[in-house]
Amino acid sequence: MSRPTDLIQGTLDLLILRILALQPMHGWAIGERIQQMSKEVLRVGPGSLYPALHKLEQAGWIEAEWAVNEAGRRAKFYSITKEGRKRLQQETAGWKRLSGAISDIVLES
Amino acid sequence: MRWLFQRSHAEADLNAELQDYVEHQTEHYIGRGFVLEKARTMALRDVGGVEQLKEECRDAHATAWFENAVRDVRYGRRALCKSPLFTAMAVLSLALGIGANTAIYTVMDVIMLRALPVRNPSELAIVNWRVKTKKDPLVIHSHTGSSYTEPDGGKMSPDFPWPAYELLRDHNNVFSTLFAYQRAGQLNLSVRGQAEMEDVEFVSGNFFSGLGIIPAAGRLITDSDNIAGASQVAVISYSYWHTRFGGDSAAVGQTVRINDIPFAIVGIAAPEFFGVTPGSAPGVYVPIVNRPALARNYGNEHDTMFIDPHFYWVDMMGRLRPGITLDHAQAELAPRFERLALTSAANDKERANLPELWLEQGGSGVDSLRRQYSKPLFVLMTMVAFILAIACANIANLLLARAHARRREIAVRLSLGASRLRVLRQLLTESVLLALPGGILGLGIAAVGSRFLIWLLASGRQGFSLHAELDWHVLAFTVTVAFATGILFGLAPAIQATRADVTPALKESRASAPRARAHRIGLSRLLVISQVALSLLLVLGAALFVRTLANLHSVEIGFNQENVLTFGLDASQAGYKDAALKTFYAQMEERFRFVPGVISATATDMPLVANANHGTGVVLPGSAKQEGHDLPTTSYVSVGPKFFQTMQIPMLAGRSLGPHDVDGAPLAAVVNEVFATTYFPGRNPLGQRFGLGNSQAGDLTIVGVAKNTRYSSLKDAIPPVVYISYLQNILKRPPIGMTFEIRTAASPLALTETVRKIVHDAAPTVPVTSVMTQTQRIDNTITQERTFAGLCTAFAVLALAIACIGLYGSMAYAVSRRTNEIGIRMALGAERPRIIWMVLREALALAAAGVAIGLACAWSATSSIKSFVFGIKPADPLAMVVAAGILTVALLIAAFAPATRASRIDPLNALRHE
Repeated sequence: MSRPTDLIQGTLDLLILRILALQPMHGWAIGERIQQMSKEVLRVGPGSLYPALHKLEQAGWIEAEWAVNEAGRRAKFYSITKEGRKRLQQETAGWKRLSGAISDIVLES
Repeated sequence: MRWLFQRSHAEADLNAELQDYVEHQTEHYIGRGFVLEKARTMALRDVGGVEQLKEECRDAHATAWFENAVRDVRYGRRALCKSPLFTAMAVLSLALGIGANTAIYTVMDVIMLRALPVRNPSELAIVNWRVKTKKDPLVIHSHTGSSYTEPDGGKMSPDFPWPAYELLRDHNNVFSTLFAYQRAGQLNLSVRGQAEMEDVEFVSGNFFSGLGIIPAAGRLITDSDNIAGASQVAVISYSYWHTRFGGDSAAVGQTVRINDIPFAIVGIAAPEFFGVTPGSAPGVYVPIVNRPALARNYGNEHDTMFIDPHFYWVDMMGRLRPGITLDHAQAELAPRFERLALTSAANDKERANLPELWLEQGGSGVDSLRRQYSKPLFVLMTMVAFILAIACANIANLLLARAHARRREIAVRLSLGASRLRVLRQLLTESVLLALPGGILGLGIAAVGSRFLIWLLASGRQGFSLHAELDWHVLAFTVTVAFATGILFGLAPAIQATRADVTPALKESRASAPRARAHRIGLSRLLVISQVALSLLLVLGAALFVRTLANLHSVEIGFNQENVLTFGLDASQAGYKDAALKTFYAQMEERFRFVPGVISATATDMPLVANANHGTGVVLPGSAKQEGHDLPTTSYVSVGPKFFQTMQIPMLAGRSLGPHDVDGAPLAAVVNEVFATTYFPGRNPLGQRFGLGNSQAGDLTIVGVAKNTRYSSLKDAIPPVVYISYLQNILKRPPIGMTFEIRTAASPLALTETVRKIVHDAAPTVPVTSVMTQTQRIDNTITQERTFAGLCTAFAVLALAIACIGLYGSMAYAVSRRTNEIGIRMALGAERPRIIWMVLREALALAAAGVAIGLACAWSATSSIKSFVFGIKPADPLAMVVAAGILTVALLIAAFAPATRASRIDPLNALRHE
């Protein structure tokens, strides 16, 4: 299973914000979506996912609400806030810079 | 915040959320073709440690820190309550250490550190003069006030001639104001017909404005009050207004008679102002222009005191202009004063040793009290610092042992996933939990202790008042000490405890001995040894001071101090003069003599052995009378006719002074043995003639030689003393205030009311002052020694107790660690006494090491207490042996309990315990 050490520090937050920017989602589904979107490369276990969610909630970038899910069960849905979107923009810009810089070095032939 | 207040709700949320995850994941696995059982197991495995995950989620919330702290406190409290002995010992040792420290600090704060309650006290500068020699400069023909011998042997004094004040006041660019004042001492104050003695201060017109004091009512003294012929006014202090007028607003405008001269009260000073000298709080301030009228007891100087450049008496303080430093002011004023002193010098001898002006910071008030008590307080401060150190060592030792005993608990917590930081925080919380009640209890001890200390310092001093209240200074000091101690000594064992490798600690049994323990026991032993060494210093100090006190008590006084009532009367301040004054005193002597229960009564111009001293020059026949200096000197007392009879001083030759030695009769003197052997060696002193002071050689005839008695103090060598009759005007000075001595058949103090009534009937305006027995008077001269002996003994007992607790704890712990070893030894046939001896030997080794180090330290520190001991050397071998003995015995007793416990170990139990 992928532990957070496989991810660059802070990228999990970015991934969560990015996914929640599309639509509100509950915890398990977020993990699934990350896996899906990364074509099974990134796998986030609950040990990293839930602390990160609670941290983001505490920071005010996402908020949580109990709702009934597609299977008719009550689940905790997370959605992005206004501050969260701002944060996402910043983080994305930062990520572009960082990944570009790393690619420049690593992929130089 | 929701997290905090709806914890159970939030907790249920978290549970439900994780539950939701597990169900999704299970379905996910089922979807991949696993059976339900298998899918659920796999889902749960994915989640991992549920509790750890939950903890991490909780930590994500801001309130987690607080929550954890609350939990730590709750857990710590429970843990501490589980070992009440440990907790009590730790809290008590801390409280005692901190309490004693705070009490001393409070008093020191008042005396040394606290600034005057005036505007910008840091701008104030005290003007002094100093010389490099021990002798007074000859240009000073007379001096009233105070002077101090400086550590380098020079002399310093704050008193100046008035012309110097006028010069410096009118010609300087460094002070915005320069004001003058002088303590008048206790004067006779009478308000609404009731007389009593009160401290009075003479002040210049700019005194209050210069200090920046505002009146609580009315107005303060101004320059216009300080003009000769101005109406006589007075300002009273706030506390005097309360004690004497009950805070009555009508006090302003009333009249107070000072030495029988009426003064109108024009105002009351601000409540917080207690004068410029800490420790003395004048009740009344009067314009300095009134000094000649009020201070008649200084001979004839008062006629010329405002113009005489040779009479040094007035104190001054200046307020530096903004931006001017003390050094700058000094550089400008010193040459100016030097010129004045030089001009006033009449000959080369006077020019040789001129006083130089010297400025000092004035912000804490004038510092005679500081000079007097700074060294004793420093010694006391050192002693309490030792106590605090011993107490801290105890805490450290206790925490160390405790942390070690909890290695397994900590290992369990670490292996269950607690982070190191989390465990450290828990241990630290416990330390602070110990430090806090220690600090609070210490504060309580301090409040009582400082009051007690001030009472000790003040005992025997009239008009001594210090405003010592625990303030935030002291509070900050205590809290800092308490927290630093708790954190410092909580942290070291805590770090050590969490560094423990989890596996061996878990496996560890009482039998196995990891190497770390040897290290720990080494540190613990080191702490015990240093405790013992410090305690030895305190016990030794106590032994020295107690012996000093005993020596002082066994000093042969030379007269019978038992059953003598003494008190002061000063009729001169009530308007009696010259012959009337003498008659009044003689009549009073006569009246007291006929009171039932009185054996004999006399009057003297000063009390004996009360740190009072009258000195004058001796003119011997044959030696030409010299001017000013190098004259042989003697101490003297003017006494009443029944003096020798009342004090029971034996006459060795000739007669004593009697009722016939009055004006008109030949001038008679009785001298003591020292006088006879100093000035008439090898000759029969009887019938020899000499002169005193300004009188001519051969004026007086020695009519008797009295046995030596102590004169002004128990410590000083007996000086030559001349006894003269106050009824003969020998020194051309009328008697001023007199001390009466009344020998009684029974308890002297029982006569107090009778005495007061007799005096009141004869002269209602003359107050009876400082009523006490002769024994009390003598005791008052050794207040410091008594304080030291008492405090030091208390400190020593405290230190001993704390050190014994430390050793007890250390040995008890060592024994519990060695239960197995001892069990094996006993199983192999070791006898009980052998086991006891084994433990005691270890304690003895620690004690011996501590005592040896302590003695070595004592040896090198003796010079610092030289001035506090009397009749013994600071490195007194007997005191050292006694101290070492007391300490060793106490420590052995402390170690005996763990030793017997060790000997009672049941070998079967000890071995089965594994």
